[in-house]
Amino acid sequence: MDEHVKHELIKIVGKKHFSDALIDRITYSMDFSDHRHDLEGAVWPTSTEQVSQILQLANRLKIPVTPRGAGTGATGMAVPIQGGIVLDLVRMNKILRISIEDRLAVLQPGVVYADLQKALANHGFCFPPDPASGKVATIGGNVATNAGGIKGAKYGTTKDYVLGLEVVLPDGRIMRTGGSCMKSVSGFDLTRLMVGSEGLLGVITEIRLKINPIPAATATALGAFDQLSLAGQAVSQVMHSGIIPSVCEILDRYTINLLLDHTQADLPRCAALILVETDGTTQGEADFQMDKIIEVFKKNQAVLIKKANSAVEAAGLWQARKSLGSVITRAKPNFLVEDVTVPMSRITDLLLGIESIAQKYKLDFITFGHAGDGNLHPHALYDGSNREEVSRVEQAAADLFKLACDLGGTLTGEHGIGLSKAPFMSLEHDPAALEVMASLKKLFDPNNILNPGKMGLEI
Amino acid sequence: MTNPYQFIEKFHDQLIHCSRCGFCQVSCPVYQVTLRPALNPRGKMQILKDLLEGRLSLNPELLDTLFQCTSCAVCAQHCPAGVKVAEILQEARKDLVREGIFHPTSKGLSEILGKEKNIYGQENQNSLTSPKKIRKAKIVYFIGCVGSFRETDSTHQTLILLDRLKIDYTLIDEVCCSGVLAQVGYELNPSLVNHNIEAILATGAKTVLTGCPYCYRTFTHRPEYQRLREERIKVLPLVRFLKEIDFGVTTTKRVTYHDPCDLGRHSGIYEDPRQIIRKLAPDFVEMAHSREEAICCGAGGGMRGAYPGPSIAMAGLRLQEAIATDADFLLTGCNSCLHNLKNAKKRYSPLRRHKVEVYDLAHFINQLQEKAV
Repeated sequence: MDEHVKHELIKIVGKKHFSDALIDRITYSMDFSDHRHDLEGAVWPTSTEQVSQILQLANRLKIPVTPRGAGTGATGMAVPIQGGIVLDLVRMNKILRISIEDRLAVLQPGVVYADLQKALANHGFCFPPDPASGKVATIGGNVATNAGGIKGAKYGTTKDYVLGLEVVLPDGRIMRTGGSCMKSVSGFDLTRLMVGSEGLLGVITEIRLKINPIPAATATALGAFDQLSLAGQAVSQVMHSGIIPSVCEILDRYTINLLLDHTQADLPRCAALILVETDGTTQGEADFQMDKIIEVFKKNQAVLIKKANSAVEAAGLWQARKSLGSVITRAKPNFLVEDVTVPMSRITDLLLGIESIAQKYKLDFITFGHAGDGNLHPHALYDGSNREEVSRVEQAAADLFKLACDLGGTLTGEHGIGLSKAPFMSLEHDPAALEVMASLKKLFDPNNILNPGKMGLEI
Repeated sequence: MTNPYQFIEKFHDQLIHCSRCGFCQVSCPVYQVTLRPALNPRGKMQILKDLLEGRLSLNPELLDTLFQCTSCAVCAQHCPAGVKVAEILQEARKDLVREGIFHPTSKGLSEILGKEKNIYGQENQNSLTSPKKIRKAKIVYFIGCVGSFRETDSTHQTLILLDRLKIDYTLIDEVCCSGVLAQVGYELNPSLVNHNIEAILATGAKTVLTGCPYCYRTFTHRPEYQRLREERIKVLPLVRFLKEIDFGVTTTKRVTYHDPCDLGRHSGIYEDPRQIIRKLAPDFVEMAHSREEAICCGAGGGMRGAYPGPSIAMAGLRLQEAIATDADFLLTGCNSCLHNLKNAKKRYSPLRRHKVEVYDLAHFINQLQEKAV
C-alpha cells in the first residue's frame, strides 16, 4: 500500500487497527463465495467517526473501500474486487440498548446475530429473521444484504425489522435515517433504501431493530409425499387454509437420497418431504394450526406423517434438515448454493425445472428450502478441480436464473446480487429500473469508491 | 504431481472440503480475543488451501497465523465438513521446520529441550523433579513441567493428598515428556523420552498417574512412548484415578469446573472430574461453555510462550465465564490451565477483585480435608 495512505489510515485507527500483512490480505480477499481479489490493506475501525474519516480519505484519493461483516455472504459482496481497503466492522460490536417497552434494540453493525439473539432471549424477545449463517454472521451484514432465513413466510426478512440506521456516506457525511418509532412516513424511506444496498451506498454504523416476543409454544410435523406435484399442492393448500406456518421447508428427492446415503436419518425414500412448524402463545394454538396442516397433508396423500409430541421428538424431526449443511460439505469438494425465489404457487414448476437443468448439464443438484415463502436453495455439488464440470455448473446457474425469472420470480430471495448475479440483473429488472439504480449509486457515491464493481450497475 | 508439503499429503481430503462457511468462528478463542479473521480457523484454512493450490509457498509471513492456535480443537465441534484444523496446523508447522522457516519461540523451545531437561531450562534442583527418595512402588506420579516449576504449591498439595490416601506411589527423576515439540513442528527428543521410560520402569510400577493431561496424551498416544504400552504400563490422568475415592468432605460453596482441552475434547474425559466434584460440592454449576464446548484457557499449542498477550486474554475470557456463574471456586485438572487462569486473575483488575479462586482439583480436595477452604 502507498506509504502516505497507510500513514493516514494509521493516524485514524491506530497502528494496531491497520494491516497490510499477507495473512490478512489473503483472508480478506475472499468470502463464502468463490470470488476473490487482492486488496491493499484492511482497517478495523471502532467508531462512526473513524469510519467517516476513512471514507473522507478514500473519497479524496479515490481508493475503493469494501465494507465487511463476518464475510459469510454467498455472492462475493465482501470481496474487494477492485482492491483498495477492506473495512472490517467486527470491532464495532456493542449492543447499545435493549428497550422492551419500545420493542427496540440499538446496536453496532459488528454484533453477531447469535449474540443479539442471546441477549434478547434474556428478555423473552428475539429478532425473527433466522439466517442459516446466524451463528457467525453480523447484524450489519444482515442489514446490508437484507438477510432472510427459515422463518420468512410468517416473520418476513431483515427489512421488516429495521426502524432506523446511522450511515456514513461515501464522502464521510454521517446520516441518520428513520428513528425509534414503530411507524413513520416522514420523507423518503431512506432506511429501506439502505437495507439490502450491499454496501454500495453507505457504511452502516448503527442499527435500530424492532424486536418480537419469542412465541411461547411451537408444534412440529413432517409429511412425506410420493409425488412432487402433491407436495407442491399441499404447500399451496396450507396457504388456503388460513394458517401461516412459522416454518415450511421442502426437501426434494435428491436431497432425501443424499441424506439417506450419508446419515442414519429415519426417512422414507420419496419425492418430497415437507417440514412444518407452527407457533402461538399457547400450545393449543400451535397444535390447532398444525392439525389443520396435517389435514392438508392427508388430503394430498402424504405417505407418512409424523407429528412431534415433545421437544425431543421435534428435534428428531429437525435432525435431517439440520444435518444437511454437514452432508453437503462432505459429499463433494465444492457446492454452489443459489437462492432463487418464485411466487409460492410456482414451487413445483421451479423444482421440475431444476431437475431438467440438472439432467441437461449432467450435474448433481439437490434442492431444499423455504417453500413457505417460495425461496428455494438449489445446490450444485461438484469438484472445483474439474474445470469442465465447473463450466457446466456456471451454465446451469445461468439457466436457473432464467427459469426463476420466467416463473415470475427473482434471482435472489436472500443472498443478494454481489458479483455472482451481477451479469443477470437485466433478466429481472427493466432498463428504467437499472438506470434508476445506477443513478442512485452515482448520487450517493459519485467517485464510485464504495464497494465498486458490484450489482452490475457499472454498465 | 507430488505435493510439496506433508500436511497436504496427510490432510488433502479435509483441505478440499472446507467451504469457508466460517462456523468455526463461533468458538475459536483466538478469534474471540483478537477479532482478526486471519487468525480464525477459516483464515488459516484459506491460507492452507492457497498452499495446496500452489498460489502460495510456505514463508515467514505465515508464522503469525499458523502458530496462533492453542490446538484446543473446539472449532472441529462446529465444522460441518469435519475439518480438524488443529491437526492440520501441527503438520504444517512441521513442514515449516522442514523448509527451514522457524518460529523463534518454537525454535527456542526445541533448543532448550535439546540440552535441558524441562521447558523452562531450569536446573532440576527442587524436591519435585529431583526427589530424594525414588523407590519401588506400585504407582509413579509424573508431575509435568508446569507442576514442577510453576504450580509447585498445587503439586505439593496433590502429593500430600496422595500420602493421606496412603497411595503406594513414588516420584521419579522426571524430565519433560517433550510432547509439546510435536505441537510446534519438531520431533520428540529421544533422550528425554528414554530417560522417562527408563525411570518409570526402574520403579517396577505398573501405573503412571500424570498431573498434566498433555503428558498423559503423550504417553498414551505418541509412538515414541510405545515401550510403555509394550511393558503394559497403565497411564491415567490423576482425575480418573481419584474418581473412585470417597473423600468424605463437602463444601457448601459454589464450585465450577474448567475442562482442560487435553482431558476433555482430546481424551473424552468429562464425567470423571464432575463425578468427584458433585460429591464434594452439591452446589456445582456449569459455565456457559462446558464439556465439548469448553473455551480453552489459552495456554496450549505453544501459545503461552509465543503469544502471551492473546494467551492470557483467552484465560481472561474463560474466567469471565466462571465469574458469571457466581462461583466461589473454579477447579480444573491441568496445571497449565491453572497457571494461565491464575495469571489472568492477577493480570486484569476486574477479575482480581472477584471472589472466585482457581484451584487444581486435587489441591482443592486436600484443602477441604485440611479445612483450609
